Amino acid sequence: MSSPEETPDGIGAEEAAARGESFGNEEQDGEDQQEGDPWVSQHQDGDMKRAAAQLIEKYYFQLTNGCGNPHCDNPNCVSSGKIGPLSSNEAAGKALQLFATRARLCEVVGAKVARSSQSLTLSSGVSTASAQGHTSSESTATCSLVRDVNMAGALTPSTPLPPLSPQVDGSSKTPGLTEKTLSLTIAECHSSNNYAKLRRLLWAVFSNEVALRHSFLRSPDSEERSDNSLIGFKSLDNSRVQSKEELRALERDLDKDLDCAEVVCVGEGATSSCEGNEKDKDESQCVKDASLPSTLDISEVRRAYAALFECSEAEFGSTLMNAIVQLLSDSLSIQLRAHRDAFTAIPNNINIFIILLESPALNTTDFIEIVMPKMCRTISQLPEKDQALLTRHLASWEGTRLHRLLESLHQLITIKLLTTEFSRDFTINDEDSITSATQVMKLLFYASILGGELDTPLLKDIPPEESSIESMPLHDDPFLGVSGAGKDWAARAPPKDSLGTELGVHVLDARTPLVPLAEFYDDFLSDQLEMDRDFAYYKAGSGDKFSFLNYPFILTAATKALGLYYDNRIRMYSERRISIYQQVMEGMPANPYLKLRVRRDHIIDDALVELEMVALENPGDLKKQMVVEFEGEQGIDEGGVSKEFFQLIVEQIFNPDYAMFCLNNETQTFWFNPNCFESDAQFTLVGIVLGLAIYNNVILDVHFPPVMYKKLCSKPGSFHCLRDWNPTLYRSLVELLEYEGDDMEDVFMQTFRVGYQDVFGTSLTHDLKTDGDNILVSQSSKHEFVELYADFLLNKMVERQFRAFRRGFNMVTDDSPLANLFRPEELELLVCGSQHYDFLELMKSAEYDGGYTSETAIVQAFWELVHDMSTEDKKRLLQFTTGSARVPVGGLARLKLIIARHGPDCDRLPTAHTCFNVLLLPEYSSKEKLKDRLYKAIKYSQGFGML
Amino acid sequence: MAATRRLQKELADIRKSGIKSFRDIQVDESNILTWQGLIVPENPPYNKGAFRIEVNFPAEYPFKPPKINFKTKIYHPNVDEKGQVCLPIISAENWKPATKTDQVIEALINLVNEPEPEHPLRADLAEDYTKDRKKFMKNAEEFTKKNSEKRPAD
Repeated sequence: MSSPEETPDGIGAEEAAARGESFGNEEQDGEDQQEGDPWVSQHQDGDMKRAAAQLIEKYYFQLTNGCGNPHCDNPNCVSSGKIGPLSSNEAAGKALQLFATRARLCEVVGAKVARSSQSLTLSSGVSTASAQGHTSSESTATCSLVRDVNMAGALTPSTPLPPLSPQVDGSSKTPGLTEKTLSLTIAECHSSNNYAKLRRLLWAVFSNEVALRHSFLRSPDSEERSDNSLIGFKSLDNSRVQSKEELRALERDLDKDLDCAEVVCVGEGATSSCEGNEKDKDESQCVKDASLPSTLDISEVRRAYAALFECSEAEFGSTLMNAIVQLLSDSLSIQLRAHRDAFTAIPNNINIFIILLESPALNTTDFIEIVMPKMCRTISQLPEKDQALLTRHLASWEGTRLHRLLESLHQLITIKLLTTEFSRDFTINDEDSITSATQVMKLLFYASILGGELDTPLLKDIPPEESSIESMPLHDDPFLGVSGAGKDWAARAPPKDSLGTELGVHVLDARTPLVPLAEFYDDFLSDQLEMDRDFAYYKAGSGDKFSFLNYPFILTAATKALGLYYDNRIRMYSERRISIYQQVMEGMPANPYLKLRVRRDHIIDDALVELEMVALENPGDLKKQMVVEFEGEQGIDEGGVSKEFFQLIVEQIFNPDYAMFCLNNETQTFWFNPNCFESDAQFTLVGIVLGLAIYNNVILDVHFPPVMYKKLCSKPGSFHCLRDWNPTLYRSLVELLEYEGDDMEDVFMQTFRVGYQDVFGTSLTHDLKTDGDNILVSQSSKHEFVELYADFLLNKMVERQFRAFRRGFNMVTDDSPLANLFRPEELELLVCGSQHYDFLELMKSAEYDGGYTSETAIVQAFWELVHDMSTEDKKRLLQFTTGSARVPVGGLARLKLIIARHGPDCDRLPTAHTCFNVLLLPEYSSKEKLKDRLYKAIKYSQGFGML
Repeated sequence: MAATRRLQKELADIRKSGIKSFRDIQVDESNILTWQGLIVPENPPYNKGAFRIEVNFPAEYPFKPPKINFKTKIYHPNVDEKGQVCLPIISAENWKPATKTDQVIEALINLVNEPEPEHPLRADLAEDYTKDRKKFMKNAEEFTKKNSEKRPAD
């Protein structure tokens, strides 16, 4: 059915069709123009540029591959032997020259136009790219492509199909590439040192979703078919594009290749009549395979890539990349958008993405810039089910590999951030490449969790806690429309994520992920993001606008803290508004603030009594802005007084004499005292204090082991949490687990009864199982033993105290997105701040006021003094100027310390406004005097007073 | 008592083995977590006397290491004035729950016989021990004669 034609006429239009840049209408034109002169056809087609490009391409091809006529006498054709081999750059340049001079173009020898199965394609509106080939005849044998027009046509019956670029008739049923075909082709190319065929093959497969979908299938008979020259290939790579010209040249090259391939197929004489049947078969086979997600032979894919990348990448890199760009930008994404359901129902669809992701070239710069954005966009459009499949695949990777891909995504985001001009109307949230990269990162995030070590039992396997019998007085607020009815403060289900649910894991289940979760932070993005906007989108929750807060893994804790801050402020204002409303409507005097009046020497009693009252009567009041007043002091609370209040109360609560918490000497952390005499209410109040501190943006000097925060996030403590909780015990238990001998009972003589000591030093025992004292731990039961032991220590023993504590915490934070945004380790950071005292950072971010600059002598003396201080004194200084000795989340730079001149030299001590982190420093006459005054000030600094 | 079973076995084993360097083991019936015993060193200068020690097992034993204290004063670079001894085998970092008390005692006896001046608790003694062994021996012997307990008859 192919008729060789003598002239190159009409090639331009046809190639255009093959490139996939043109759509249906042009292709038809192409038909008409077949006999036309090239110079004419370009006018007819109305696209001079393209025709010119096609011509240049022809010159290029002639320069690199030749016309194939052994008797060719054209000095500009390789076949004539009159020009030597050219590099692609040279060839491209030469091609341009030839075009400019309208040099002679060889006539093409051999099979030229393949109008493969035109009847089929035209009817469905698909263009058949017919091709011209001046291919050497040997390629006919091996390189052929198969098209699967039927299938694609069936999917999108009513729309003009996006050009499925390489559609070729094939005599075989599977259009996919196999390893064998590939290696044969590679070998052939090696021996002839001409990689055109390989490029053709790659283009044909990688630009064609159908071919790709059918590549590397696990099918048992795929091998025998491979000889038939069907190919599906895969892999990507990076091309080193030195100039646009080269890129273009290469692209053209590709087109040619494609054409050739098609011709070849035709040459094979596929008959269109039997084609239909074959396709049907294909389809049914696909359906069968659909149930198995792993129809893809991954190891074959990897071997194939390995073989491919042994070749010089210059030979095929850009071809491959361009093919993928073609694949992603046309058919796939259009189909996904227009016919998502139908499209995603195609079996083996996911194979395409797996094959793409397996490419060794995934992390090259060109790939990141050119292919990655399209790939991310396409993947982000996939339904969750498919994303879950991809995630599972990624989870099978090694950590380092996953890490590299993650870095590539970060790199993509950074490039986009740097190169895009953002404005009020076009924010980061609108930049498609960034948002889709973030969405893909989410797959990586879950893959990292899934592929790493999980904390068993998984959250989903843990039965929800029975709701507490005792219920707190409820707060019904008709104005908010929120009813507290039935709310159980103590037991709150952790937030769910649909992808996580699909995969059956939760962020809290991660113990040792493949890639540390902190690697997912994008600092640059976090810095650039306009959190107020993002927060607004998050709150709107409609899904029209992308919000990074829905992808909390990418944001640093400091940025998320800002989001939380907005949330808290909005809530505080709304509480304030409502109370005014209430006042007007009901004539009730309402207080818009949560006001605490405490005596300095009875701080715990007073605070706890007041908070208890609020908690009992109206827990909603806890969400008002807190204002603290120390009796007999004039300090007005703009934040500073409450900071000190929290500081003092924490100091006392954790005082060992108070015995609510006991200190572990090894780790210097506090844990609930299981034998505490205090009532549950006391623990609830401590929980409230912790919640209030977060809510009011105050950092506390508390030291809990990490497992406490995990428990606060609703994941019970498990064996591995003991590592931070009690390292010695943990190590010993690991020893026990690692003991392999059969004489475990004799060596350890450990029963299911364990001993522990209370705060008074009394030894107590606990049976982990009924009659535990008579059951020895054996090889078979050692795992059960450590789990039970850990559960006892971390959960059971302090259950009552912890429940009360968490109830208090949740009372304040229940409506806030806290649990959605923060992982346990970030929560810890939020509560205690970072422990890193970098005063250089503080100095860099400091501002000056009242006549001081960073150059002022006294200011310089001040920093010299500060840098010489001991950590203890630095903490005191921080305490003095900011009201807290802790470093805020994000480091000391966040404090924005202001040093203000406080008059000329005098005997006054330095003073501070802790609410605004202002240090008032008189301009002392000497450094010695400054030192004396400063040390005095920071050493006697408790209390507020007016000067 | 959680560790009762194991400790009782360990105690019985040690008593049965009848090692000469550690004897006269006394355990309060009501509290098997505290043992007392007499260390009888072989090497000079400590072979002039015997030293009473106390072994305290934590409630979490064997998942946490026991602690050892000298009740008898001893002039030794690795034992401080309060009787605390630094024994690697029972340090938190090195402790293994499979370690038996007889191994611990053995390690202790070795340490008493062969001081390790590289990891001293009393730097002054360690210095004498390395630089002026004669002086050290003389002082230690005098100290032992004056402060240590009587060695058992046999």
